[in-house]
Amino acid sequence: MLKRLYLSGNEAIAYGLIEGGVRFLTGYPGTPSSEILPTAQKLKLRYKFKGFIDWAVNEKVALEMAFSASLCGVKSAVTMKQVGLNVAMDPFLNAAYVGPKASFVVVVADDPGPHSSQTEQDSRLAAYLAKVPVLDPSTVEEAYLFAKKALELSSEFEIPLMLRTTTRISHGKSDIVVSEEFPQEEFNPSFKENLKNWNIELQRLAATPKLRHLLHKRLNEKLDALAERNKPRFFYQGDILILTSGIVFSYLVELIEEHQLENKITLAKFDMPFPVKYQKFSEFKRVITLEETSPLLELFFDTEGRRNGLVPKEGELTPEVCEKIFSRLGLIPEKKSIAIPPLKRPSLCPGCGHRIGLFALKKVFGKKAIFCGDIGCYTLALNFGVTDTVFCMGASLSFATAIKKLFDEKEKQREVVGIIGDSTFLHSGIPPLIDAYHYRVPFLLIILDNETVGMTGNQKTPAHRVSYEGKPLNPVKIEKILEGLGLDFVKVVDPYDYKETLQVLKEAKEYLKISDKPCAVIMRHPCVYTREGLLNNPKRPVQILEEKCTGCKFCLSEFECPALYFDESSEKVCIDKTLCIDCGCCQFVCPKKAILEVKA
Amino acid sequence: MKLVILGKGGQGVLFFSKILAQMALNEGRSVKATEIKGMAKKGGVVEVQMKIDEGLSPLIKRGEADLVILLSPDLEEYGKTFGQKILKFTEEEIKKAFEKVPQRLVNTYLLGVLLARHKIFDKKTALKVLDEENKKSFLKGYEDAEKNVQSQDGDFT
Repeated sequence: MLKRLYLSGNEAIAYGLIEGGVRFLTGYPGTPSSEILPTAQKLKLRYKFKGFIDWAVNEKVALEMAFSASLCGVKSAVTMKQVGLNVAMDPFLNAAYVGPKASFVVVVADDPGPHSSQTEQDSRLAAYLAKVPVLDPSTVEEAYLFAKKALELSSEFEIPLMLRTTTRISHGKSDIVVSEEFPQEEFNPSFKENLKNWNIELQRLAATPKLRHLLHKRLNEKLDALAERNKPRFFYQGDILILTSGIVFSYLVELIEEHQLENKITLAKFDMPFPVKYQKFSEFKRVITLEETSPLLELFFDTEGRRNGLVPKEGELTPEVCEKIFSRLGLIPEKKSIAIPPLKRPSLCPGCGHRIGLFALKKVFGKKAIFCGDIGCYTLALNFGVTDTVFCMGASLSFATAIKKLFDEKEKQREVVGIIGDSTFLHSGIPPLIDAYHYRVPFLLIILDNETVGMTGNQKTPAHRVSYEGKPLNPVKIEKILEGLGLDFVKVVDPYDYKETLQVLKEAKEYLKISDKPCAVIMRHPCVYTREGLLNNPKRPVQILEEKCTGCKFCLSEFECPALYFDESSEKVCIDKTLCIDCGCCQFVCPKKAILEVKA
Repeated sequence: MKLVILGKGGQGVLFFSKILAQMALNEGRSVKATEIKGMAKKGGVVEVQMKIDEGLSPLIKRGEADLVILLSPDLEEYGKTFGQKILKFTEEEIKKAFEKVPQRLVNTYLLGVLLARHKIFDKKTALKVLDEENKKSFLKGYEDAEKNVQSQDGDFT
């Protein structure tokens, strides 16, 4: 039955994948990709089909699991953000050579801008590197349609397909028509059923380098066949040709119609920017490529674009930027650009357990300690001086290990702290910790455990006991991992218990002076951004004693709770009651003791 | 129609936008929107751009929004980069909202104020989209603002 629904690009992708028959879907959360998998879970709960839809511990594991599901004849897909694909590059490249059995789609969300990522990398180039065909939707509706198309092409050509989206597609919303038909397809995983022909199968499932050459050849043949069929769609009729793919196509259509350039520009839209077949386009006066965020079509067709300075080499190709390019081409008069005032920098939520825990850490270890941070909400601790490095998932512990080791070699006493969230630790923090233990590197490991993947929208972690379907799960205990590795100082505190936290941190500091092992403090407090976390959070309302507040702003700069603000007229700090959740943590911060708990 | 809705995380910007979109859809119009949430959640800036019955993409060029709705007054300078027509709620209106309805319904009260002051949608459309308690809160806002609109000259600042 056809239905008109108001969906985000990510929701639309989930509908497309599940309607297209995906019954094994996994991934690791990462903005802007995180909503695809939860939407698919909702569909599974609603339509009760068989299969597996849940998070993996990291992107590499996710891609491997999904690919092996495809080898069992089950249509599968995996979701991640662009930097997550970096983590999964090894299996990604391999998957192209080996080739899937049932459809296999890798959904990757890029973040031109970037809005919430470390890089602006273009995953279409990763697809090119891996020799994986890539579909690049221009609208939410196409995100839905291309998810299905990717599954079809994957099955027809026995090749993995990448569905590349960007923030504006993934977090864009639109009313689209979906069929919402979820046929109860036969769910019949099979592997090694036919032993007679198994040796032939093994030539690709466990191929040696010699056979890899043949697999590579076969992959190239598939790409050639796909490229042969892959034709751009043309719009308008002008003597300037613009090649494009993805959301930029939508901006260009709007601009061409707004400025009535239908006779000046021809648009060539590539639904699939790789693989393409070279053609000359010699009938046009100029050929230009506008694409996000790196040259791909531009290189293939050797057009104007980023390489001749027409298109900015970094940043989002917003409608404003495209408009500027039009005026550079002499198509429209130049417009004055509007200066955008900077917004207030982001802070941790009011009441966040990370804030008070890291404040205590700063108090005990001082600002001279080296704080190696990681990817998560707590990156924001750099605002109040408890994070010196932010690099990539898990790097806090590799950094801490190497930096501490260097100072030890030099016999110089420096205190080094690695700060990592629970989910990030499980994602990629364990391997560097193994090296730290093995090489006897005594740094302090702080695990900020809020029992959720906070920054990306509170997805579940391996610590959970029950699945979204209500099935029991084995909860993974981080302290057991640490003890199992051989750490003998592993303490768990609730950072809301400030005194206890200070005490444990002091003990850790003393321990590190005499130890040759890393030591660990797990700061465990539920995320207050979840409904449950907020409802169960302790209530310790405070008041600010006006006569004691000297307006020194220590709390604002060193603790940075959004619920505390400086009132210019009274020159005192005040509490914004619409933001305050009564956590009471700020009472431990004020050097003048002007913030006091209101006893009931 | 090009709308920009700006506010802070926790203020229900997304809920507010969803209701506006739902009203347009109920009238048989098409909606394209985009949501940008920064790294911070509660208290962080949330920006929604929404095009109703126009365009292929959800993005609105700076300076071209028909109406910028501010849920947080300190975002005015930023909001003005999207368009000159700004709708912000007065301190009095916000105070009244908190007095008249429970905190979780403040948004729909303000939605009532918005539609009374600027008829981007018909009141009836709103009533069809909202559930019972939100409907009541909406009507309170609508009626309170209607009284004011008559006495005020010009509804935009």
